[in-house]
Amino acid sequence: MDEPSPPTNQFGSLNDVAHELASLEDLASRGSWRSILDKVSRARSLNLLSNPHDHLIYLTYNVLALSKLRRFADASTDLDTLDDFNSHYYKYETYPQLYPNRSGSMLPFSLRFIHAQLPIKLGNRQEGLDRFYSLLNFIRQKIKEKESNNLHDSVKIWKRRENFVLNCLIGHHLGDKEFILCLDLIKDMINRDYLDPLLVSKLGYIQMQIGDIEGAKGSFNHVETMLNEGKNDGYSFLSEVQFKNLVNRNKALVYVVGKDYVSAVREYEECIERDHTDVVAINNKALCLMYLRDLSDSIKVLENALERVPTRALNETLVVNLCSMYELAYVNHSEIKRTLNNWIVHVAPDDFDASCIRV
Amino acid sequence: MSTTPQGIHSLAFRVMRLCKPSFHVEPPFRLDPSDLFVGEDIFDDPLAASNLSPLLSSHVNKSTDSSDMTFANRFLLHHPSDAMGFSGLLVLPQSFGAIYLGETFCSYISINNSSNFEVKDVIIKAEIQTERERILLLDTSKSPVGTIHAGGHYDFIVEHDVKELGAYTMVCTALYNDGDGERKYLPQFFKFVVANPLSVRTKVRTVKETTYLEACIENHTKSNLYVDQVEFEPAPHWTAKILKLMNSILQITRQLGKEIVKPPILVRSGGGIHNYLYQMKISSPGSEQVKAKRSSILGKLQISWRTNLGEPGRLQTQQILGNPSSCKEIELQVLGIPSLIILDKPFSVHLNLTNHTDSELGPFEVWLSKNSAHEKFVMFNGLQTMALPAVEAFGSTDFHLNVVATKLGVQRISGLIVFDTKEKKTFEPLADVEIFVESD
Repeated sequence: MDEPSPPTNQFGSLNDVAHELASLEDLASRGSWRSILDKVSRARSLNLLSNPHDHLIYLTYNVLALSKLRRFADASTDLDTLDDFNSHYYKYETYPQLYPNRSGSMLPFSLRFIHAQLPIKLGNRQEGLDRFYSLLNFIRQKIKEKESNNLHDSVKIWKRRENFVLNCLIGHHLGDKEFILCLDLIKDMINRDYLDPLLVSKLGYIQMQIGDIEGAKGSFNHVETMLNEGKNDGYSFLSEVQFKNLVNRNKALVYVVGKDYVSAVREYEECIERDHTDVVAINNKALCLMYLRDLSDSIKVLENALERVPTRALNETLVVNLCSMYELAYVNHSEIKRTLNNWIVHVAPDDFDASCIRV
Repeated sequence: MSTTPQGIHSLAFRVMRLCKPSFHVEPPFRLDPSDLFVGEDIFDDPLAASNLSPLLSSHVNKSTDSSDMTFANRFLLHHPSDAMGFSGLLVLPQSFGAIYLGETFCSYISINNSSNFEVKDVIIKAEIQTERERILLLDTSKSPVGTIHAGGHYDFIVEHDVKELGAYTMVCTALYNDGDGERKYLPQFFKFVVANPLSVRTKVRTVKETTYLEACIENHTKSNLYVDQVEFEPAPHWTAKILKLMNSILQITRQLGKEIVKPPILVRSGGGIHNYLYQMKISSPGSEQVKAKRSSILGKLQISWRTNLGEPGRLQTQQILGNPSSCKEIELQVLGIPSLIILDKPFSVHLNLTNHTDSELGPFEVWLSKNSAHEKFVMFNGLQTMALPAVEAFGSTDFHLNVVATKLGVQRISGLIVFDTKEKKTFEPLADVEIFVESD
């Protein structure tokens, strides 16, 4: 049996980070979640994982894959094989010969996130939300700790995690139509200087969803001001093209509300011209065409997108819309939906939820 | 929703309710690479942190690139707010849903030729039928559709403002010549029910010259209602002013972010309520005033709201009735009370009685009522009932009451009754009067 090689600090490639991580990552990018389950199972049964951090990362991929395949109960069971997340078994300093001069938790943060989201997917919403709020407190504690120890890189990472969990919470509250709560949470984030154009745009979408059109317009104007003031360095997540498209898409929504679908289509076409993979613009343009009584063209827009940029366009929402259009356009729509289904089966990643086709 | 089989027909109607689309929301399982590949505290180690950063960021950039042809965007986060699962993607209405009075019914109608031959001279009609009326939504006889080739379709969008409750039937009919030249008639029926979205409960109270109207709006729909505007339209000769809590403190304007996040008036679905308070006064004096007071009509409430993506609705209530007997026919005013009131020493209260009606009232009898929860320490001195002559229309009369107090301290003259002996009508027109009784 080979001597386990001590993990290196030279992270030149993914495989330096964890055992065959590059392969896991490649499978994940292709959406081959079933293959990931096979790979993890094989690594475990053949004892290929020598280090504790390898075990944890493989466990994370396994739980993630099960979650992606909507096998939430199985994912939960696998997660439960772990001790308390804060156990010393998962701390670097417990294995000084393996991780010299390193301390802290080796648990991938995703496990905490998945642990909070799983109960919600299993129908136990209250438990999940409680876990998310506890996680938020945990993160805030960590930030204080790292700040007092001047660990600046860590502070940045944990602040990003705080932002991430807040966004998850807003998403879950939104799904349950708890709009006032969402507005409060976003307000809180803006107060904490998480002011960014995407967040403010989403504030606008929520305002639109509840019917506060004037409020939405105000939020969108604010986003446009951010673009015009050229404050792009603060928002390094967005390229210039992405920022401009965001502003156009926001304008289009205002037209949709005012039933001016022609102008909305024009805005979306500007987006698609700049970035032909802008699926939100493509999908929404198709809907506007339908509201303009042009069902045939709306179907064409969606079908073209699936053909040209399948890895972007293949999302369940777009397919749901396409199927609704088929049901309207064809008396015998089962046939065309079956054709779509057959094509999807060949092209889609493992986690694509084909029940949206309603064959 | 369609109740007609179309076995013998080449044409068939397909119908879809076209209310506004909704935003898709579903928080996904999407991660940041630094939360997946490595331990959560690895960045405490500055050496590891500096070596990992380039590796991780190259990974994220790869998947954000629009030339990336993998499904990495389904599991990696491009931006923290991706975790919300709320990208602005719109979804078509997936079911007919509920439809409420005051909304606009909008529908996509497609007529499809599923046969293998052309149909000619097509005339299409769409009509809404309710218990009370039939409304034509569409009639192509003036601008004929003409021909629909095999496999083709013709589309319409119809709209109708829903003003009636109950059962509705949308009848779509097509007259056409089929492949054999036979003139065929295809009717298809689509049924739905219109329900009441709101109920409005009102309470009217009168305090002195002012009438207060409290309106409570209850939301019976399945969605939250964004109440855009509630306007009270007062009846002739009335004015109404809405009384609102000073909510400038609730409006948060941040200079830093230039962000205004005003809490909206959102009435919760399935039983949420919101209250409005109006202060109403008679706007025109004199006899018009009396007419207005006698009539019990206060006015109407106009409510407009918005739901998903600004879908509007509007309703007007029936006439809201006030409380006619609460209008003041008789007014009693205290003109003078001595500044020094001594225990057990009688004193005089100067009063004025005004008749606000347009006819003579009285004669009257005045006394202090004995039915009271508390013992009375202020009473008439001498005769327990005072007689007053009749008072002409819009006239008034002054009189004095001889009163004595039997207890020290703050006491009340309460329960003064004015009885119209002719109409046999009782008025209790005076609020409690506070007096301070001192010792000798």
